[in-house]
Amino acid sequence: MKEALEKALAELYGPGEIQGLRRVPGGASKEAWVLDYRSGDGVHPLFLRRAGGGVIYEGMLSLEAEFRLLSLVHAEGVKVPRPLLYLPDLEGREAFLMERLEGETIGARVVRRPEFAAARARLPQSMAAELARIHRIPLDKVAFLPEPGPGEPWQAAVSLAYRDLDGLGEPHPALEWALRWLREHPPRSRPPVLVHGDFRIGNLMVDQEGLVAVLDWEFAHIGDPREDLAWPLVRAWRFGEDGKRLGGIGEAESFLEAYNALTGGDVSLEELFWWEVLGNVRWGLGALKQARRHLSGVERSVELAILGRLAAEMEYEVLALLEKSGG
Amino acid sequence: MDRPTLDEILEAVGEFLEREVLPGIQDPRLRFQTLVALNALAIARREVALGPALREEDHRELRDLLGMAGDREDLLRALAQRIRDGEAPSGTQAFLKAHVRRKLLLASPRYLERYP
Repeated sequence: MKEALEKALAELYGPGEIQGLRRVPGGASKEAWVLDYRSGDGVHPLFLRRAGGGVIYEGMLSLEAEFRLLSLVHAEGVKVPRPLLYLPDLEGREAFLMERLEGETIGARVVRRPEFAAARARLPQSMAAELARIHRIPLDKVAFLPEPGPGEPWQAAVSLAYRDLDGLGEPHPALEWALRWLREHPPRSRPPVLVHGDFRIGNLMVDQEGLVAVLDWEFAHIGDPREDLAWPLVRAWRFGEDGKRLGGIGEAESFLEAYNALTGGDVSLEELFWWEVLGNVRWGLGALKQARRHLSGVERSVELAILGRLAAEMEYEVLALLEKSGG
Repeated sequence: MDRPTLDEILEAVGEFLEREVLPGIQDPRLRFQTLVALNALAIARREVALGPALREEDHRELRDLLGMAGDREDLLRALAQRIRDGEAPSGTQAFLKAHVRRKLLLASPRYLERYP
């Protein structure tokens, strides 16, 4: 693989050599590699994404589409690592190279470590700013993304949740209860936008100054802006700092106010509730699906296995949310 | 059967991982996975200690809620279907809260402390 990469990099930066190529943990279905390329004009720190053997989740972008999307949002001024080169066939699998930025991506550290205190204070504003930038990208520029299904985005989201639930082979009446509530309280319509699809602490790279980059674009789609606004409020992404509803680092109010100010919008906190309930249902189903990757033998892992039991946390949160709302 | 009992075996494996394996692990990924494995053993031990009584309680409440007999899994399935069809029996929400609480008493009892 090193040779094939060197050939591609020579065209980009001129002749040179790859140093320190190593694989790092990179998610369920894709490989991640770090490397440096030393050429005439210095050392280029790089990050490589390459397709893996694993299962592709429904709605997940191909690496080619992810590369195109990263190139677009980078040009639109969204904070992302600069995408460099798409490789349709890197030893039999597609891959792309991007610049490697420095920063912390482990959510629990961003939320808890004292050295990120100043960054945490700035994050609500900068998270709002990035979402505002993403959501105002004209949809004709992302025509290469999969067509959204018929009906409202919320209906598609609920249908997908039912399909996931039915695929488990195990009854989950608490999730049924939440889905029933979601169907009976449909949100009012909002014009569709480009949605990041996994916008939360843990997918944001942060340094001591603040937000460095928005990562993990593989779930991007055309959808409802409130999906992105509510997802970072889901309790599981607060990493134990339950009192701070925005990802364990801040208040939902100031985040939403900043977003509305930047977009000229009028999204209310009450409107986000529906999407917060959905977010908990989705992550609960996500955890249950992860456990099935282990149980079916696709990927044996004690970490995945135990998620099948921890999904009850999201069920409890959903029930608590609905109880509070008088559901 | 002879001692160690199931719980004593799980305890012994947990102690071994915690005292002898964990301190020597440098690799952060492996360290994390080992902590997850320890958590899995703790869940298994709570299953041994509390599982049968919690399942029995769940089963009894399900029979009362639905007014029908059957094994616990079948009743849970019947409840799930009735909720989906918009025909949840009254008392469903209270049952679900208790039901999920019982699951968490096994899987993640400290999580419950996060709801004062």
